[in-house]
Amino acid sequence: MKLIGINGTSLYVALYIDVSNSKELLESMQAGTLEPEVAFLNASLIPDIFPVLAAAHKTLVTKSHDSFITRTLHSELVYNYSGSKHITESLKRCGISESTTYILAARFDATPDEIKAMEKLIKGKEIALEELEGRANLSQIQKHYKISAPELGVSSIADAITCRIAARDAL
Amino acid sequence: MGTEIESKDSSLILIKQGAEARVFESSFVGRRSVVKERFSKKYRHPTLDSKLTLKRLNAEARCTTKARRLGVCTPVLYAVNPVSHTLTFEFVDGPSVKDVFLEFGSCGVNEERLGKIASQIGDVIAKLHDGGLVHGDLTTSNMLLKNDTDELVLIDFGLSFTSTLPEDKAVDLYVLERALVSMHSSCGNIIDRILAAYRKSSKQWSSTMNKLADVRQRGRKRTMVG
Repeated sequence: MKLIGINGTSLYVALYIDVSNSKELLESMQAGTLEPEVAFLNASLIPDIFPVLAAAHKTLVTKSHDSFITRTLHSELVYNYSGSKHITESLKRCGISESTTYILAARFDATPDEIKAMEKLIKGKEIALEELEGRANLSQIQKHYKISAPELGVSSIADAITCRIAARDAL
Repeated sequence: MGTEIESKDSSLILIKQGAEARVFESSFVGRRSVVKERFSKKYRHPTLDSKLTLKRLNAEARCTTKARRLGVCTPVLYAVNPVSHTLTFEFVDGPSVKDVFLEFGSCGVNEERLGKIASQIGDVIAKLHDGGLVHGDLTTSNMLLKNDTDELVLIDFGLSFTSTLPEDKAVDLYVLERALVSMHSSCGNIIDRILAAYRKSSKQWSSTMNKLADVRQRGRKRTMVG
């Protein structure tokens, strides 16, 4: 786990493998009863934590302008990470499904009690964020973000994702 | 257990001020960054002003990322803020090509380095043009050389647009040619080396070169007589 400061707000992130209860997590999230509210991201699309932070930064900026596209702060984070304007598709691909076992959980301004509650919520094994790079599904990332071979010649895959997250609304 | 990284993203240090925008150094979630702010022009009608500013802001974001997709090195775009009219980019550590060439002018030319830079410039412009992107403001101060890799990084896509017309590409090259003649004539004939590299890399070089000859005759603006 890690707490990362973004413009005076903190983002708590934790990475899990072998998660067995993603079906329940998904159901309670969709029912809006998840306590505390958490963003669950499909971690195989995350090669580095930096794009997540860029998406989180974008989410906080949108929050300060009161212009959310989705319903909650944490679903907005998942939507922003997708780099796409298609909301349903974004939440499906970058969020979790019933069978997802590899998950990155994130929460803004988590209190110590909330962190404890989150740890209880997710039934899986927590691993270090440094494992993101080795576990990422590169071909899936390239397909989802439409990253071409010439671009990878001048850019890391994480930077390519960051650009798409930042430029989405300008397209 | 976790470590905590505190990053203050609020400090802004002015690096440069131009006619359209101000450029600041700052930090973005723990990384060094550059913030480009387009300020409002008080002489314009407020509605028109905000429309123009926003349009150009988005166009710059679009073109910078499009260039990357074409395999041209540009700074990573970190954030776009349509309310404060700012773009946040990666901080590129290194001198501009202008500074390097000026140093050649005063301390003697390093032929090998000059040749390498010129061929990189031609290569990069060819990639842009073949992908249908025109930079619009090709000058040596809009090209940086990364300190660690000596890689050419193109910046400032504020005047960029997409076009496949040989005319637009030729004007793009002509602007660079004029800029080189006025700034760096002491370095010898750089533009020929750039164009040689351009010819090698671009698949559509012949139509662009033909147009370039026309543009040289009449200048950047089209004559609208007759």
